[in-house]
Amino acid sequence: MSSHVGNAKRQFVTSGGSGEAVLPDRRMTPPVVRGILWAAIAFILVNTLVSQVLDRQAYDPFITKVSVTFAWTAALCGWLLGVGGWEMLVKPHFGYPLVWRTPADWRRYFMLSLDHKVVGIQYLATSAAGLFIAGFAAMMMRAELMQARLWFFPNMSAYLSAVGIHGTIMMFAFGTVVLVGGFGNYLIPLMLGANGSAFPRVSAISVWLLPVGIATVALSPLLGMWTTGWRAYAPLSGQDPSGIVFYYLGVFAMTVSSLLVAVNLTATIIFKRAAGLTWNRIPMYAWGILAVSLLNIIWLPEIQMTFILSLLNNIVPFPLFSQVGTPLTYMEIFWLFGHPEVYIIVVPAFAIWQEILPVMGQKTLFARQWGVLGLVFVMLFSGLVWAHHMFTNMRNSQMLPFSFFTEMISIPTGFAYLVALGTMWKARMRPKAPTVLVLMSMFNFLIGGVTGVLLADPVINLQAHDTFFIVGHFHYTIIGAMLFSALAAVYYWMPRLCGRMYSETWANLLSVWVFIAFNAVFGQFFLLGLRGMNRWVPVYPAYLQNMNFEVSIFAFLLGIGFLLHLIHVVWMWNHGEPAGTNPWQGKTLEWHSASGPGQTNFAVAPIVLRGFYNYADRRPVLASRGAGEREATGGGATPGPTAE
Amino acid sequence: MFRGSVGGRAPGRQGCSVVDRVMFTIWWLLASVLAEWGVRALIHRGVYYYTASSQAQDGERAVAFILTVLTPVFTFVVVMLIYNFIRFSTARGVATPGPHQFQTNKTFIGMWVLISIGLNVLFFVHPSASALEQMFNSEQQRVHRQDLVVNVVARQWQWIFSYPQYGVEDAEDANGNSTLYLPVNRNVKFILRSYDPYHTYAPEAAVVHDFWIPAFGLKQDIIPGETRYMYVHTTKVTSYNVNPMVRVQCAEVCGPGHPFMEAPVHVVSGVDFVAWVRQQRMRQAQS
Repeated sequence: MSSHVGNAKRQFVTSGGSGEAVLPDRRMTPPVVRGILWAAIAFILVNTLVSQVLDRQAYDPFITKVSVTFAWTAALCGWLLGVGGWEMLVKPHFGYPLVWRTPADWRRYFMLSLDHKVVGIQYLATSAAGLFIAGFAAMMMRAELMQARLWFFPNMSAYLSAVGIHGTIMMFAFGTVVLVGGFGNYLIPLMLGANGSAFPRVSAISVWLLPVGIATVALSPLLGMWTTGWRAYAPLSGQDPSGIVFYYLGVFAMTVSSLLVAVNLTATIIFKRAAGLTWNRIPMYAWGILAVSLLNIIWLPEIQMTFILSLLNNIVPFPLFSQVGTPLTYMEIFWLFGHPEVYIIVVPAFAIWQEILPVMGQKTLFARQWGVLGLVFVMLFSGLVWAHHMFTNMRNSQMLPFSFFTEMISIPTGFAYLVALGTMWKARMRPKAPTVLVLMSMFNFLIGGVTGVLLADPVINLQAHDTFFIVGHFHYTIIGAMLFSALAAVYYWMPRLCGRMYSETWANLLSVWVFIAFNAVFGQFFLLGLRGMNRWVPVYPAYLQNMNFEVSIFAFLLGIGFLLHLIHVVWMWNHGEPAGTNPWQGKTLEWHSASGPGQTNFAVAPIVLRGFYNYADRRPVLASRGAGEREATGGGATPGPTAE
Repeated sequence: MFRGSVGGRAPGRQGCSVVDRVMFTIWWLLASVLAEWGVRALIHRGVYYYTASSQAQDGERAVAFILTVLTPVFTFVVVMLIYNFIRFSTARGVATPGPHQFQTNKTFIGMWVLISIGLNVLFFVHPSASALEQMFNSEQQRVHRQDLVVNVVARQWQWIFSYPQYGVEDAEDANGNSTLYLPVNRNVKFILRSYDPYHTYAPEAAVVHDFWIPAFGLKQDIIPGETRYMYVHTTKVTSYNVNPMVRVQCAEVCGPGHPFMEAPVHVVSGVDFVAWVRQQRMRQAQS
């Protein structure tokens, strides 16, 4: 294993070490184009082989559930090889030298890259695309719900397919990804004072699974509608036309991507820390990413096995989860992953609060060890609470233990608040967009938490379950806490990512915009749920129409707000004021390096002398070695050690 | 633990600290009183909007208790967020570390941890365990010898209600739609199954449904291949025409017809119920 790391690292240095463009020896097809081509060829070949030769079915359809499964798998392999896996993974295995040169311009984002910063940007862009695709599905759902009758979608199944696509892409391509695959890949090696992640070739290839997953799920209606929503409950999943097959396959691609990220980042945090960066000193975000990566490593394989089983159940077919099998088993193993997934999404958000607030307030992090304890115990507890999703279908005797653990998990969750509030007390808070967004995120998650306590109570849960109350609750935790924290992270680290500053006025204005719209939408979801609005219905009793209409209006405003945030960030990425190396006076190591994508983070390995969160201690964080701290070679903002 | 020592202006800091604590406490108390008043109004209005069973009333009481206890906690965090943001924000873009630097405060952390554990234990004991105990008791066979039994069959996409004690099969209204009639002030035992009685040879036709009557305050998933039970005690004469929450609604997605899997509920007096039973039996005899 260590030889691989060394190998790849050497290659990384030679390929991207200099800032100037290194063009390939000979002209090759652009990797993405070649990937699409190879995928298409593989798909057609294997599909024809299976559906026309090996497994002909009655009436001889060209695409069958079975053929499409094999063809999709072949297409995935073709895509990964075409986009660069052939040169980077396969040929070196047969003794060829690893030849993969990354041009130092926009093209590096459209091929495999060994630089963790390029991979981070690739993940951020792809998951943002996922956010807006799934968000568009949500807008269509809200348009339908403006009226109590079916008017926007052509039929019920089309609406339910939109629900499923929205949930699946949001969960597996955005919620699980943006703070881990995106910011995690970009920031964690920097924060640890490393020049790369532990397995750069793994993360180079893993990011290209994500667009495949998004496209597969988004295009699933090509194979037929599916009506189950993102949970794909059996036995209903077995009744649907073939669209559900693309759900299983797409989710498989996306979860493999997240799993590889988790393995890579865990190894990076354990093995690639700079000298002196002890466990007591690693940044809070590294703790958050470690906790969430362990959750991913534990639970993603579990849900992958579940979905593979369910896929076989569907295409073979088996009766595993039908009336003559055991429908409950699917639910149990789905939620066994499903609840840790919630914490996979929200734990990095907690870490972001604890990362941003001390810097924005120039204030010593309060009760740091309790913050770490909170992250770790949330991670440990999250596997003990899954069946609170099943109070309506489990046996009575199982309710109390799950109710107990669900209530108890609010204790370590509360530590995130303890740390954040204590840090803000008597700080010198700069009311900038990252601060504002973190506070909004804390407010939103508080609502999510209070309604979570209500839902942990079985008797209340039996009324609120499967209604808009629960939809409101989990949108508060996911959009309200995670997405607002992700926005805070975007604005906080934007100077680091592109060397430019956003517009403070626009960022604050748009943040207030989405905050108001968000609370207007999902606050009313609680009321809708309590008034009897159930989930997964394009058609509902007329007495709920007025409130739904109003919610839809606010939902459109929310969608426009997020779109404006995107436009603002993209515009400022190229046109913002140059931000300087360390505009927030942060102490963590990503601010001690000005390396852009393709550049070496630390020319000389840094030596860490003390933790990053004690603002009473004005001494420098890094060992001073004169010129030894000169960082990135060329390009980007002015390099140099930060003022301490 | 390390306590801030930059500047060494301990007495001045102490004084300032007291003012902030007092100010914060005053705002917190004010906000809590206001919020509790709001929560009271909400509870008075009915958190569940409309209730027609003792189970719904139990649930409503549980919500009321949790909201009442959590309101000061909620306002503590919200007021702290706002107070910190307004009181401690600085106009300067480039901030230097302020004089107040501390890593811990044992009293605050200790109280935080103890209160959060205490509140969670409290909520687990009451209302979670206590209300659940009540629910389990209401389901005990021995207290329910006089239960009205309703057989409920869920199929895609229809509810079928039968009353074995009264010989009523597949209760329907004049238009042939499934309808559920219940006598008031009675314990009702629903026996829930999911299968298609018209296509019993097709086991794959059965999917998970969920039997929910919003005004009764509870629901129960119906799992194919299993028999499930749900118990309610009706408390008032009402119907779908009085409030649309008095309806049976499938709450678990069961395919494209899911939204249409609903049926009106009528809770009537004992006399009216007997009359309805007679009418149903006449209808059955005719068909």
